[in-house]
Amino acid sequence: MNEKERLVKLLKGEKTDRPPIICPGGMMNAAVTELLGDMDLNHNTELDAMVATAIKIREVVGFENYGVPFCMTCEAEPLGVTISEGDKNNEPRILEYNNSSIDEIMEEFRINPLENKRMATVITAIAKLKNDEIPVIGNITGPISTATSIVDPLRLFKMLRREPDEAYRFIEYVNDYSIEYAKEMVKAGADLIAISDPTATGEILGKKNFDKFAMPMYEKFLKVMKELSIPVIIHICGDAKTIIDSLNTLEVDALSFDSIVNMRFAKSKLNKKLMGNVSTLLLQNGPIDRIISITKNAIDSGVDIVSPACGLGMSTPIENLRAMTDYVKGSI
Amino acid sequence: MNEEKLFQEISEAVVEMEDELVEELCNKSLELLIPADKTITEGLVAGMNKVGQLYEEQEYFLPEVLTCSDTLNIGLDILKPHIEKESTDNPIKVVIGVVEGDTHDIGKNLVKIMTESAGIEVYDLGRDVPLEKFINVAEEVNANFICMSTLMTTTMMGMKTVIDMLKQRNIRNKYKVMIGGGPISQKFADEIGADAYTVDANEAVKRIKTMVAS
Repeated sequence: MNEKERLVKLLKGEKTDRPPIICPGGMMNAAVTELLGDMDLNHNTELDAMVATAIKIREVVGFENYGVPFCMTCEAEPLGVTISEGDKNNEPRILEYNNSSIDEIMEEFRINPLENKRMATVITAIAKLKNDEIPVIGNITGPISTATSIVDPLRLFKMLRREPDEAYRFIEYVNDYSIEYAKEMVKAGADLIAISDPTATGEILGKKNFDKFAMPMYEKFLKVMKELSIPVIIHICGDAKTIIDSLNTLEVDALSFDSIVNMRFAKSKLNKKLMGNVSTLLLQNGPIDRIISITKNAIDSGVDIVSPACGLGMSTPIENLRAMTDYVKGSI
Repeated sequence: MNEEKLFQEISEAVVEMEDELVEELCNKSLELLIPADKTITEGLVAGMNKVGQLYEEQEYFLPEVLTCSDTLNIGLDILKPHIEKESTDNPIKVVIGVVEGDTHDIGKNLVKIMTESAGIEVYDLGRDVPLEKFINVAEEVNANFICMSTLMTTTMMGMKTVIDMLKQRNIRNKYKVMIGGGPISQKFADEIGADAYTVDANEAVKRIKTMVAS
């Protein structure tokens, strides 16, 4: 069973020989400083460096997938924000939000993923990575996280109360072009889509806001992907207790959770495949024997796909990540 | 309308995020010659305390707390110019910021809002704050507390650096160091020698107050 068959079969609910071990990319990427060592160009912006990094992550660290990009800024970047493009020590991040009104932003920007430079780079990278044996994952930053990357999060959070209809329209607008972006990823050859929406955590939004502003967006997204027969993984950060029942109603193929979520509890509440959730703090600091025991515990708790629990710190040693991938593959 | 009832209504208006009502009631309190600091404490801040309680009980979440704090500020803007001077003498001073390398400041902002609404003077250094700046500003303003936050595991060791720098300068005992944020725990606070860790904003304010009292 090759890596692609294993992951795709698992997501379709078929039996596999063992859990896959992946790091999808996007927010949860393994483009750590040590790995980027001799790369000349910026892996966040340059096509060849992006492709080479995705391949290197699989070859050197041992994750069983290719995944691009390696940050959460592609979706927000074209909407009048200033970003740092990142380097070998820092991930790209938003430096300045767009201060225009929501209406002005929606009026001004029409996003065509193929015409936008960085989205187009990601799509082309997917086309180059496409192959028969290793699954290629297109990574999307979720609509709440992207909306709060375009405008100041505090501003949008207040709008959820003060101007809920306008906030909804804005999040929907973000969701709609993100869906178009995902469709292009699929056309280019992505085998599955991973959506990370860290800001949509129930801890920040609460169940009511999550149900009102996040759930309809995921439903719409998933419907389009279902029509294309493309499996989707959704990652939500933080403690998911308050929103777990909502998540269970989504037609999603797998849900990924942070290390704070007890996977036995999640398993008991959810009828989805579970991905996760080896602590990224542990992966950064070690020790290796504890990484192995926590990885084992994740599998014993019913995790179907093993992965880091959240975004990896860039100073995470390859050796530590390797311990996790080697263990799952049965070589430790 | 008697004072008690007015305070009660102001408090409820903060909880219900009713900007115009707060404005009207605060103006009314001034017409009735009720001391501004009393209206702040027993009306506005009492309301914000209730908001904190609802946040703790997971009835309110960040969007609600932020909106309530805007309502609170409308009231404060009206009343503050009327406070008699001596009641603001010798306030608790807190320097707060997100440590260098990290730009996630939602949690820090929440702590700032709750701390300010408790009448504590807050010097907000923002996010991605150079580590020496925490100390320099604390020295400059004669702060009592240095509060640091981070969401990322990659930047949490910066907190230890600040504590080590305080020790080097022989001023560690001048300040209480409080830390918080996603990956932070009591265990980590103990390891790096911080004075306190709190899990959320409301708890942070309570802790500041108990530490000052003791």
